Amino acid sequence: MTQNKITRRSFLEKSLKVGTGLAIAPLVLPSTGLFPRSARAASTGADTVVFLSAENVTGNWDPTSHTTLAQLNVEAFVFNYLTRCPMTVEKPQELVYELATSQEIMDLYTIEYKLRDGVKFHDGKDFSAEDVKATFEYASDPQKAAGAWYPGPCEVEVVDRLTCRVHTRDYGYPAYHFWYQSSFLPIMSATDIKDPKKLAQRLNGTGPFKFVEQRKDDTVMAANENYFKGTPKIKNLHFIYVPDSTTRLISLQSGEADVIERLESEQVDVVDKDKNLKLNTAVSVENKYLWFRCSKPPFDDWRVRRAACHAIDRQQIWYLLGKSGHPSYAHISPVKFGYTKVPGYPEYDMDQCNKFLAEAGYPKGAGLPELEYITSVGFYPKTKEYGEVITAMLNAAGFNVKLSVLETAAWNQKLYDRPGGGPGHMIDCGWCTGSPEPDLVLRMHFHSSSKRITGVVDPEIDASLDRERNAETLELREKIIKTDTLPMIAKKAPSLSLFTSVFIHGINKKLDNYYIYPNGMMDLERATKTG
Amino acid sequence: MGYVIYFLARRSAQGLIIVFFAVFFIFMVMRIVPGDPVRLMVGGAAPDQVLQKVAKELGLKDPLLVQFGRYLKGIVQGDFGNSFIRPKSGGSVGGEAWDDKRAHARAEVFDLIVERIPLTLLLAGMAMGWAILLGIPLGIMAALRQGGWVDKFANAFVSVSISVPNFWLGIILMLIVSIRLKILPSVGYKGLSYVILPSFAVSLELAPILLRTIRSSMIDVLQMNFVKVAKARGLSSWSIIMKHCFRNSLIPLLNVLGVQIGILLGGVIVVEFVFNYPGLGLLTIYAVLQRDFPLIQGIVILFAGVFVFINIIVDLLCSYVDRRLTF
Repeated sequence: MTQNKITRRSFLEKSLKVGTGLAIAPLVLPSTGLFPRSARAASTGADTVVFLSAENVTGNWDPTSHTTLAQLNVEAFVFNYLTRCPMTVEKPQELVYELATSQEIMDLYTIEYKLRDGVKFHDGKDFSAEDVKATFEYASDPQKAAGAWYPGPCEVEVVDRLTCRVHTRDYGYPAYHFWYQSSFLPIMSATDIKDPKKLAQRLNGTGPFKFVEQRKDDTVMAANENYFKGTPKIKNLHFIYVPDSTTRLISLQSGEADVIERLESEQVDVVDKDKNLKLNTAVSVENKYLWFRCSKPPFDDWRVRRAACHAIDRQQIWYLLGKSGHPSYAHISPVKFGYTKVPGYPEYDMDQCNKFLAEAGYPKGAGLPELEYITSVGFYPKTKEYGEVITAMLNAAGFNVKLSVLETAAWNQKLYDRPGGGPGHMIDCGWCTGSPEPDLVLRMHFHSSSKRITGVVDPEIDASLDRERNAETLELREKIIKTDTLPMIAKKAPSLSLFTSVFIHGINKKLDNYYIYPNGMMDLERATKTG
Repeated sequence: MGYVIYFLARRSAQGLIIVFFAVFFIFMVMRIVPGDPVRLMVGGAAPDQVLQKVAKELGLKDPLLVQFGRYLKGIVQGDFGNSFIRPKSGGSVGGEAWDDKRAHARAEVFDLIVERIPLTLLLAGMAMGWAILLGIPLGIMAALRQGGWVDKFANAFVSVSISVPNFWLGIILMLIVSIRLKILPSVGYKGLSYVILPSFAVSLELAPILLRTIRSSMIDVLQMNFVKVAKARGLSSWSIIMKHCFRNSLIPLLNVLGVQIGILLGGVIVVEFVFNYPGLGLLTIYAVLQRDFPLIQGIVILFAGVFVFINIIVDLLCSYVDRRLTF
């Protein structure tokens, strides 16, 4: 009995042994499988790709339930689209057929799709026109969180198993709006759409990778062995949320990650000089904006917004951003349909600033309330830095601006407009959509039926957006966008386009044959990786 | 035995009061600082009427003291509430729609914490192991050779390691050990080898304190008469140092270790973030950054409880070791 008695000495002795044991355990037990011998051993294998995301997903896998970029990126691996749009600078409007084999505008209100045969969903169900009908009708419901991405409700007629026609006559807009949307709307299973709970719980597409599980912040995917273009060589895919950019870079350098996004400009040089890594740089579909909360004072007056725009010297921001930013002269990116360099886009001009402030009843800023400018840190490059520059410029012009820098998730929660106006008075955000369709930005944000962030309600902007939306031909629409809509939005300035983002990904040199779209989505269906 | 029961009962009651005040404080502070928890729950784009409805349903329109009472009642019944942010999968989410069908399938705070505890205990345990390995031998040698080069080295080690922030050290270790030498992995957790670097980074905060404690304690013991007598009795130096001096000098370590567990938890939080190590520390940082109030409250209860429990155990052991001590 005495042997079991704990004494001071035996306690201390055992504590010492336990501590020592814990410290040396990993060094002396390298072969248990729990202990990879080295960082090299812990590197991702030749059949595995680890993508580190700067943004979190939403927890609801229904593609129509969100407008979150990280989740769009995951969807791009799991779903197919009727078409894909590589959006290269040379051919920005080129479409590549994916689940569709053709699309044809039958008349102003009808567009027809012929579909690919022999495609299966990951749950084994055959793909057919019924799935396209279910997807189009479900996703285009304006009440959905992502509903504003689509031109409006539609009806889809199933002509036969592999042919369907999208009709928009009853809803009063041309069907050709789905021409580019076809590269953005992931095709879901009609069976899943009947059960929204199931749709929310997991991803089920026809794409190159199958959703396996959500393991905390790791979205685990595996190669789809029945993929209609052939089984991907990459067998395992991990999409992991890592908010800290330094941690993402170190993971890439140590071989524990293969792709990282949103490199800070000083990180670009580090990756560039590393012989094991490479950069992927592209002028993106994303413009970064300073969004005004237009539904409450003082930015409910467009003259105050214009005054703020003229107080900001964007050249300074472009200089600060270095390789991460591309000059912007319109509210859409240069790879979007209808882009033009808008004449008279608001530039730094203190005379104009003072003129608009005086006209709005705030001479040199007198009488303006304290304004909160919200920005994020950890997701977009240099937001805090240029946020401080913008704050200083606005304050120098007579505004009274306080900058709030928030972590990504907290900023995300404050982003959108709501009844009574969104939080703060200005917020920083980019808008990035995987299609050249300009209304994914313009109508989404500046039409009073959506006004996602700004809360703007302006009959003149609405009328212009309706004119371009209802144009009888694509050519006419392009003309209206260039000569009417974009100049109108620039004049009323519900937001100021600060710059077009240059998407810079750091990539393991062993990874090849991938494609990164200008909205950050990644195509790994033909990707290869050397061991 | 009677003393032990009386001691435990008294100190547990005191401990409960401390935990109560910690929870009360954090509960109130969370609700006073800017940031509306209902807005977090219903999502950024929800209309105000939805926000008001949810707030009323959750009782968040009641006076704070009523809400606190309800929260305490839940804790007594083992219900720590549900995370505002995290779904059952445990991942970080955000930016969802206000009418998200899964908004009610949020993870239970208790489950989130219990799931992470083993990883943090492993990290803290291994850090303690490193600290003992580094601090104690060096402390003994410094005490035996006061003023010698080992003592000077130990002093320098203490100064440097106490001054270096562990998050910076963590990044340097990653750069050298993982990226340059490719000896150990560093980001996340897929096995015990992922614990070595973060635990080493944490241990360097702890080791100098152990070193200083054992050094001064050994110096005191070495000057005692029984050491001189032991020499006269013909005991070997090794036997005198390890069996007699070392064991006697370990007593102050007990008190120091009790306090250091707290420092260890603080160090673990920062280092877990740097290494993206999915333990309680990372969970805490995300919870704070995402304003996940129920989760923060749950973690505060756990940490306060751990502090109180360790201090009770340390005091009990000290009074057991030295009967002259009463607490």
